[in-house]
Amino acid sequence: MFKDLDPILHSQLRLAIMSLLIGVQEAEFTFLKEKTGATAGNLSVQVQKLKEAGYIEVVKQFKDNYPQTLCKITAKGIDAFAQYVEDLKGYLGRA
Amino acid sequence: MNQPMTPLQSLELIEAMIAKTKSNMHENRIYFLFWGWLAFAAILGQFILKAIFEYRYHYLVWTITIPAIVITIIYTNKHRHKSARTFIGESMSNLWTGMCFSFFILSVIITSSPAGWMNSYPFFILLYGLGTFVSGRILRFKPMVLGGIANWVLAAICPWLPYDYQMLLTAVALLLSYIIPGHLLKNENAHVRPAH
Repeated sequence: MFKDLDPILHSQLRLAIMSLLIGVQEAEFTFLKEKTGATAGNLSVQVQKLKEAGYIEVVKQFKDNYPQTLCKITAKGIDAFAQYVEDLKGYLGRA
Repeated sequence: MNQPMTPLQSLELIEAMIAKTKSNMHENRIYFLFWGWLAFAAILGQFILKAIFEYRYHYLVWTITIPAIVITIIYTNKHRHKSARTFIGESMSNLWTGMCFSFFILSVIITSSPAGWMNSYPFFILLYGLGTFVSGRILRFKPMVLGGIANWVLAAICPWLPYDYQMLLTAVALLLSYIIPGHLLKNENAHVRPAH
């Protein structure tokens, strides 16, 4: 039905992740989990898909002896997100 | 969270998620109110001690800023969002760290000579104006921008007044830059739609 929309972004959880990351410099995995309400497993899979698409960067590091996963949107991700919003507007304009 | 979405649902989801990352005005309001009322009380205290009681060490009221700085640091560390860095949060933090150092250096300069205190208030008002104006621009909050501009005008007027009146003018500057915008931020919060 919405075949022109970017299939990577046209998924609830991936779109939620990108929408959160567009508003911050970077965010921890726990922040994304809390704000989306997703399970860690599902979130992890979707984060990986966004990373493979080059839309986000994922940095795994240690902070105060605890593992920390930081996610950050890339320039490619920003462009894709902007294009997705433009495409949505196009659909809504036609409706 | 993986059902198919209509374009409208997609836009609503984007809007809801972006709202969750917006800097909470309340986080900033507490600093403006705390420092606004503290400095306001200190300046009026200094005025009463100097102009009414003619107490020689009237400026000692400003030592109250030392525990206030400690309280601010403790509060900030306790309430800082450690899981996400926002552009607004970082900008406000950098600005007010810089302002804090500027106030400290200004205090060092004015206490380095006996006449220093006599010329200090225009510079304090000038810095209040700068911090408030830039904060207002970052937060896109007009009362703060206007408060900052008003303080620049008061800073220019201040040197023409006798010292005791400079203290009262500084109290007015604090009302316009910290206290009134701080209270208006509270009203602003009441109109913000809660994130779903």
